Amino acid sequence: MLFHEIYGNYFNAVAQILGEAVRGELTEKKIYEIIDSKAFAESSLNIPQALNSGEWPLLEENLETPLLNEPQMPLTTLQKRWMKALLADPRIRLFDVPAEGLEEVEPLYRPGAIVYFDQYADGDPFEDEAYITNFRTALQALRENQKLQVDFTGGKGGNHNWQCTPLRMEYSLKDDKFRLIVCRGGEERVINVARINRCSLMEEKASRPQSIARPKRRVLLELRNERNALERAMLHFSHLEKETTKLACAEDANVDAAADRYRITLWYRSEDETELLIRVLSFGPMIKVLEPDSFIQLIRQRLALQKRIKRDGSS
Amino acid sequence: MAYSELIKDFNRIRDYMRQFYVYGFKTRDEYDAKSARSYDNERRRIESWLDAYMSFRQEPSGRVSFISIDSTEVPANPLYNAFKAKSFTANDIVLNFCILDILQPGERMGVSEITETIDEEYMSFFENPKVLDEATVRNKLNEYVKLGILISEKEGRKLLYRRSEDSVDLEQWKEALSFFSEIDPVGVIGSFLLDKMREHPGYFSFKHHYILHALESDIICTLLDAITDDCMINDKIIPYQICLSTENGRGYLLGRDMEAGRFQMYRLDKLQTVKKGAFAPQKAEFTEAAKAFTRYLWNVARGPKIEHLEMTLHIEPWENHILQRLKREGKHGVIEQVGENRYRYSIDVCSAAEMRPWLRTFIGRIEELSCSNPEVTKVFYEDLDQLYEMYEERGGDGNAVS
Repeated sequence: MLFHEIYGNYFNAVAQILGEAVRGELTEKKIYEIIDSKAFAESSLNIPQALNSGEWPLLEENLETPLLNEPQMPLTTLQKRWMKALLADPRIRLFDVPAEGLEEVEPLYRPGAIVYFDQYADGDPFEDEAYITNFRTALQALRENQKLQVDFTGGKGGNHNWQCTPLRMEYSLKDDKFRLIVCRGGEERVINVARINRCSLMEEKASRPQSIARPKRRVLLELRNERNALERAMLHFSHLEKETTKLACAEDANVDAAADRYRITLWYRSEDETELLIRVLSFGPMIKVLEPDSFIQLIRQRLALQKRIKRDGSS
Repeated sequence: MAYSELIKDFNRIRDYMRQFYVYGFKTRDEYDAKSARSYDNERRRIESWLDAYMSFRQEPSGRVSFISIDSTEVPANPLYNAFKAKSFTANDIVLNFCILDILQPGERMGVSEITETIDEEYMSFFENPKVLDEATVRNKLNEYVKLGILISEKEGRKLLYRRSEDSVDLEQWKEALSFFSEIDPVGVIGSFLLDKMREHPGYFSFKHHYILHALESDIICTLLDAITDDCMINDKIIPYQICLSTENGRGYLLGRDMEAGRFQMYRLDKLQTVKKGAFAPQKAEFTEAAKAFTRYLWNVARGPKIEHLEMTLHIEPWENHILQRLKREGKHGVIEQVGENRYRYSIDVCSAAEMRPWLRTFIGRIEELSCSNPEVTKVFYEDLDQLYEMYEERGGDGNAVS
């Protein structure tokens, strides 16, 4: 249904090459630039060869084409049906999209066809008018590279008024929340969009820093593959930068099944440490933290607290 | 057959990509490939598609290839590239561009006229032109009608083709497409749309972003289509709902197996092929039963009976965030204050054992834990004892778990 060559990188790259040829602006260099930006690493070996050799008779040696118009493909029914389905998503209102052109198609899916069974229950109020206004203003600032004046309530209840440079709009499907990442005082700061009371564009253009250092921390884990822990952990941490090595495998006749162990290195941001800590704890004894000591101490503190609570409760 | 970076069938490469991305510790010899060459070709393809994201390391047992991506740092899911690598014939690409060039808005033509035009006005341009017969052109035209790119209309006894109308203003959808292409289960369709544009908004980023679902896009797409049209799949299952996890990216289909006469959760990554079948008139009569099936689920597991679990937590007055966690993560559970700084969380669930990973995240404040299924608490406390042992510090520096 969606695995079709018309959606492929080769067709897109050739469409752009032919478009340049129709305009009379195509050069050999441009062909390679287009392929580099639109297709895959090895495509530059294949596409020019197929066009030049006459295998795909669409472009002459002198880079002229028999096409009279710049290639354009109408949207497929599948594309329209998907867009129509989005119109029923509460988050679509944040983007103010027109529904024109989608009247004739059935949505690919209807509300309720997809559920996120472990999504947090306190997601952002996507249909609240003030929220929509603030979101759109922040997005406009990002689009137009403007500074923002943001009045918001912090996590601890205090009121803040910041002049800042917006960097990104971050969304978490798990939290179902948007966070505006801004630069203030040379550092990245986070503002929950739902906590914004008011925000407005400043006249000043934003001078976005090239990059703000966001150093990552590293944690080394040892996993014991029981109760399908390997697959669960690999999926659970798959969104992080990670490296896994196998220490011993139960398939080896000399090794006991209990010794089926893996070392996993994860890289994470310091602000996510507490979250990572409880996620590691959620695997119980299947995962042991080996490094760094600071992370091990965090686990020990939780365990010590638990032991104390249990002891106090039973005494 | 000569190597090509394009592929005809998605299933084989799907498994390699999953292995490289999710596991990433296997050497060449550990893959269940039909031949070493097969492994080499698949690895080379994935390298070509995911250029910057492939990593390698040398181990004593051989070279390990893996995909390592911090998904907060990528504005677009690189795994979608796999769906943009479908192979095609020379006729496919030539006909695509010629037909769409001929059928400009307002033009209507029959197959003979289109074939003649291709021959006389396009192929004649070349020294060694391609000969495209009418049957080949007709097949392509009909394929494009099915895709919705073209429309066929009868005029007398003649069938005429024209370009379908397209009044969608994609430019105004650009930001929505950038967002939904990443978070929607079939966001790859949005990625196809973004590929039509020269510039994409680069200011969205995504946290807790499980990009692996991309590899099941075709399966999910067919399932959604079958759900919308109330159709069977694979001749025996009525699909009701796609159930996805935001915490590990795993997805399931809630469907009714008509042969077995029961509801079941099917893991999407285990469904190799899904075929939309006939209309299922029985679907409506099981809708309430489908809702009942999911009513007491914690995630997706069903047990033989509903189990009752209670957990009492110690929460200090300044730890409101823990109460918030209970409320937002605790699903249909009930929270009540049962003493000074003591809160009881209770829930009825199909399989309390499935809650254990979540319960462990409260280690450090669990005063009491009880469950109508004693095995649940037994395993919980056995695991806890193992954790105490694992982290027990010998030599004592004051931080020991004691």
